[in-house]
Amino acid sequence: MEGNERDRTRLERIPSGVPGLDELIEGGFPFPSVILVSGAAGTGKTTFCLRFLCEGAAKREQGLFFTTLSEPSHWMLRFSSQFDFMRPEYFGDAIVYEDLSVLLRHGDQDKLLEAIDRRIAEVMPQRIVIDPITVVGEMLKDQYRSFLFDLTNRLKHWNATTLVTGEVPPGELYPPEIAHSVDGIVLLHLTEEYGDRRKYLEVLKMRGTNHSTGKHSIDISRKEGLVVLKARF
Amino acid sequence: MNARDMRQYENFRRQLGPVPRPGLMVLDVRTTQFVVVELVLLKALIGDGNPGLFVSVDRPHQYMVHLLDMHGIEHTSVTFIDTVSQFAATDTCRQARVGFFKGPNNIDMLPSALREWSSKDQGFDMAQCRFALIDNISNLLTFNGHEKVQRFIREFNDLLGDRTAVVLVIDRQRNPNLYHSVLAMGGTELMLETELKDRLMDSEEGIDHGRQ
Repeated sequence: MEGNERDRTRLERIPSGVPGLDELIEGGFPFPSVILVSGAAGTGKTTFCLRFLCEGAAKREQGLFFTTLSEPSHWMLRFSSQFDFMRPEYFGDAIVYEDLSVLLRHGDQDKLLEAIDRRIAEVMPQRIVIDPITVVGEMLKDQYRSFLFDLTNRLKHWNATTLVTGEVPPGELYPPEIAHSVDGIVLLHLTEEYGDRRKYLEVLKMRGTNHSTGKHSIDISRKEGLVVLKARF
Repeated sequence: MNARDMRQYENFRRQLGPVPRPGLMVLDVRTTQFVVVELVLLKALIGDGNPGLFVSVDRPHQYMVHLLDMHGIEHTSVTFIDTVSQFAATDTCRQARVGFFKGPNNIDMLPSALREWSSKDQGFDMAQCRFALIDNISNLLTFNGHEKVQRFIREFNDLLGDRTAVVLVIDRQRNPNLYHSVLAMGGTELMLETELKDRLMDSEEGIDHGRQ
């Protein structure tokens, strides 16, 4: 029966919150899944993730934001509050902010995984962000690959959609260590054209999804944060 | 658990009673809310220590055990049946009484396996079991045809339903066929707190949303 076949194969999806993106990925990110958002400095990775969490908070989906940057929440809020979509009241309850930097300095993979697991079990989020994951690589060094394997494996079982951000040097697409273990990769490009820097978004990989393969021009606006523009290149 | 979860817990306790009433029951939950609702539901089913079964078909049982531990919910009365761990590449260990089953694609063999485990006195006594909760049963449709899953539910309920609350959690919007199959087998609906309130208000105002 056709209806039964559909019951079996259809993936649950949650809207990304990023205007213009969901129509490129069949309506949203697969739920649950782990998605890498990769790009150089200034491409809008954190803004992308905040929009994702705020979209969830507006739908009463619990969010959990892990930072690896040792940045106090009020500092992050100070800059992000400039966006219209940001509601400071979300932070604390609907979006829980967790700083992993102290644990990271000890460089103990098991303790870090345990802390992430414990916080997820406490908060029971539907949306998780780890921003940026690449800092963990610098701290864990030799343990990084096994950490990523364990982390992504556990995240997939927590029944949440997780965005991990990866910062790459200009010209690089994504951090290769994590690319194979995530379910999706969204690239944010920054290129120089006629003396200007222009930004593009590209969906490189999205498992179970018939996604767009083009580069799409993006803009970052006060009102909506990161926006995927209609024109395609 | 926050205040909303505790209200949901009280709501389930009111519907289930201190010792859950026997029979097949189904709860309509959005897929994104499964983890939270199943934890609250399991807390309500355990109550003051009711013996029961938790069958994991979507993720290794350790994740539910971890949640129970984190939220201070005593689970020594619960036997976990894990159908997915051997495929999950997980290394997390949690202390719980658990039986491992040979994969969700063999789910139709679970009733006879339970009968066997119970008869061999391996720490699980079917006759004492007061509830059986299966997590995200629609996930079985990934590994089995619809008819096989229906047959499993019927046989599982035939095995336990006379003295045990057999509770299934399904996203009705995503899996309407499965949800209605359970109702057609005589299953009754558990309701979320918000849904109960809506229905109460609607019945007072004579509104019928026609969700059945």
